[in-house]
Amino acid sequence: MKLALRDISVRFGGFKAVDGISLAIEPGTLVGIIGPNGAGKSTLFSMVTGFLPHGEGVVSLGEADISRDTPFGRARRGMVRTFQVPREFAHLTVRENLMAAAPGQSGENLIDLFFRPGKVRNEEDAIRREVEETIDFLKLRAVADVSAGRLSGGQKKLLELGRVLMTKPKLILLDEPFAGVNPVLIEELSGHIRALNQRGIGFVIIEHDLSALSRLVSVLHVMDQGKLLASGAPAEVLARKDVREAYLGGAA
Amino acid sequence: MAFWIELLISGLVAGLVIGLSALSITLVFGIARFPNAATGDTMTVGAYGALLGHRATNSLLVGGLTGAIAGAIVGFLGYWFIFRKLAQRSNVALLVASIGLAFVLRAILGVSFGHSQQVFQLPLVRPWRIGDVPVHPNDLVLAGACATILAIVFAILHLTPIGRRMRAVADDPALARVSGISPSSVMTVLWLLAGAVSASAGIVAGIKTVVSPEMGWDLLLPAFAAAIVGGIGSPVGAVVAGLLIGVVQEMATPFVGFTYKIALSFLLMLVVLLVRPRGLFGKLEGAR
Repeated sequence: MKLALRDISVRFGGFKAVDGISLAIEPGTLVGIIGPNGAGKSTLFSMVTGFLPHGEGVVSLGEADISRDTPFGRARRGMVRTFQVPREFAHLTVRENLMAAAPGQSGENLIDLFFRPGKVRNEEDAIRREVEETIDFLKLRAVADVSAGRLSGGQKKLLELGRVLMTKPKLILLDEPFAGVNPVLIEELSGHIRALNQRGIGFVIIEHDLSALSRLVSVLHVMDQGKLLASGAPAEVLARKDVREAYLGGAA
Repeated sequence: MAFWIELLISGLVAGLVIGLSALSITLVFGIARFPNAATGDTMTVGAYGALLGHRATNSLLVGGLTGAIAGAIVGFLGYWFIFRKLAQRSNVALLVASIGLAFVLRAILGVSFGHSQQVFQLPLVRPWRIGDVPVHPNDLVLAGACATILAIVFAILHLTPIGRRMRAVADDPALARVSGISPSSVMTVLWLLAGAVSASAGIVAGIKTVVSPEMGWDLLLPAFAAAIVGGIGSPVGAVVAGLLIGVVQEMATPFVGFTYKIALSFLLMLVVLLVRPRGLFGKLEGAR
């Protein structure tokens, strides 16, 4: 599913956090977004996923204009995000966290819950099987029944990826998945991302760890002061002088 | 001794009323995130609903179901026409709106049923005596009904898909929305449940005492106290604190008198807030 952004701007008062960004994310690709702090990367994610009120411009997913869709509507269309600081349903167990995110639960409707218990039970069984697969895939078996709030930072990152997977996404937006993560887990997460991409899931990744990111993605977009500065293959983009100046403060 | 056990029993029954209404408050606070002042008057709606149902059929069960359904409907209508539209506003706006709804409900009940006190016409039953202690069969029926309601609420919260999603929204509403959890189905079930639970509290209160348009409002403050003592947002805490407050109030009556027992729930609340600000079962709010 292609994500297309046309002339996206987000203002906070007089400040333009995102200033006329247009870009297209082709289906099933691995794309990176880099830029100095405050470049507007996370704000862009927030607006695209409906987390912030819509600013200006058009967000379309596949054929549909989703600019005015609710956040959960966009998630149900197959586009989900994670957060810089991982978030979780702290008082639910890891297993419940994953189950809560599964789509198509007629058990959230009281009539079906009480009058069609068979249907609800079959769905629950299907969701449970999927959750067990996800738990195995992410190697979270040991903490499956632990309250998510008690997980380590790294485990929360894995859970976050798992919760996103449970929504059956076609496009995942990861906000700094490697921040505060040890090198071993970065490799593990990268492996998961590649494996999921093989299954056809597209990724857009905001990340400051340029070496890990450029090994992962095929396209890199650079943002600076709310604008798109450069786009292209990672090696090319990172070699550009203006990019190095914006991103590395001209030090190189 | 028998005297004290009798006080304990009546304290537990009073505590069930407080606990159920506190449960309704804490559910709404945990998920919709505002203190719902219309809880008391939803209790009154339940009591009148049950009164009508009981008069029409002479069955307490039918009466109770009528009252609970009336409460659920009021809960849902309040959400649909008021709270849903204010969902993006501050919780102060929601609180004020709920106070408004409370007055409207009370006025409608007053106009419809008059302000005179009404009672459930129940057959007189001789209390059983266990040792020296008189036990009223009606109290046991009410306690059984309350336990059933609590079991249903906790089963919905912990054993069903919608309950899981309600708890998810309680933990992090924004995360729930981006995880594809529809706020409207969670809120619909929340308000049906909260309405039915507060109505049940009102029905028990009505059966034990009298039914009047003001009854729910008078019961609102101890209910809030219990929700806070139990730890706001904690269903188990609300019920336990409700029972605790009910028992403390009744047991203290011989010492402080009937008029002042209500102050005790607030004394208890103050002590808990000072010693353990998050309440008995409160969860620590993560900084975000």
